[in-house]
Amino acid sequence: MHLESHGIAADLPPGWEGSIEVERDRDAVTLAELGGVLRPVTHLGTFPLPRDRGDFGSGAVDVMGDEDAFVALVEYDPSEASSELFASRGLPRALDPRAFSSEALQRQRGRQAGWQGFFNEGGRAFCLYIVLGDLDDVHLLARKVEQVLAGIRVEVER
Amino acid sequence: MTITVIALSVVVLLLSVLVVGLLRSHATILRRLHELGVGLERDPGTAASASVPRTDGSVPSPPRDVADGRPAHDIVGVDPAGAAIGLRTVDVDHDTLLVFLSSGCTSCEDFWSELAGHGTVDGVRVVVVTRDLAEESPSAIRELAPDGVTVVASTAAWKDLEVPGSPYAVLVDGRSGRLAGEGTGASFTQVKELFLRSSHDHGGKAGADQRRERELDRVLLDAGLGPGDPSLYRPPTEPR
Repeated sequence: MHLESHGIAADLPPGWEGSIEVERDRDAVTLAELGGVLRPVTHLGTFPLPRDRGDFGSGAVDVMGDEDAFVALVEYDPSEASSELFASRGLPRALDPRAFSSEALQRQRGRQAGWQGFFNEGGRAFCLYIVLGDLDDVHLLARKVEQVLAGIRVEVER
Repeated sequence: MTITVIALSVVVLLLSVLVVGLLRSHATILRRLHELGVGLERDPGTAASASVPRTDGSVPSPPRDVADGRPAHDIVGVDPAGAAIGLRTVDVDHDTLLVFLSSGCTSCEDFWSELAGHGTVDGVRVVVVTRDLAEESPSAIRELAPDGVTVVASTAAWKDLEVPGSPYAVLVDGRSGRLAGEGTGASFTQVKELFLRSSHDHGGKAGADQRRERELDRVLLDAGLGPGDPSLYRPPTEPR
């Protein structure tokens, strides 16, 4: 399955589905109405992604199972790409299972574990946010996420 | 005289033993024939092999990877706002009810309004599929899109699943990746009843019943219990 939009392309391995759309959070939409630009948000999951969900997966992570994984790739303004927060170069392709914890979640839920990292690629600034279904299974689930990350390509900012 | 009586008694005894032996042999033959189904009353037209289970475990299991129904396809398209969307319907644990609608079809009007809040029904994911936005009225689709339900514009899905028109519904069995049902109805409520709830029309089983049956079959096969397995015919109270 191939998805492509907003300069982001994703070849999804079996079991994964996703979407590439613009931000939906109310604050971002409000800023856009005042002249700001809505940035793309990529959501990937190993479970049926519900229609109504936040940019960082609220609404989606609530329905994911223990064996599932959720990935959010949220883009920020390109001017941020050179900032210290986004200094790391390139989309992380290899994950350290030990880095996942419940403390990294936007909202702690059950035995879920999360991780987030900021990086720049192609002159663009991104946050990669990952939620795994079970803290006890992070090694297996992290490998599953690495498979989907391997298929993501980011075009250079034009 | 005494010798004659003794001789006759021996002959009678031998004949008795012979008769008892013959009766036992006959009983054994009758029991074996009964096990094979000979002499049972059957409905007209019922095949002999189908009426009596074989209990010796020699019946081969059906192939696990062959399912009924046409093959389904994953759905790739865009949502009414133009976002790229890819939905998995094949090789997944959940079933998906794809409802094919158009913005201009009058028969679809009730579907659009009824679908609100029905993103999942009885554990089955519900997705509305329209033709590509270039072939539809994007503004109308945006207005009609029901809350809480994923809407995908994908003419490719219509072609892949050979959808004859709208409204039309297709139920995809996620595990087998095959179509478990398809058809149309006057309303989404009717389609729900047809595919997802009890329906005795046409003598068929409801989708939920079929799913439960398939799940039980899968569990039994995974446990190594195929059709005709002797343990399936053991009285429940008998210790294993």
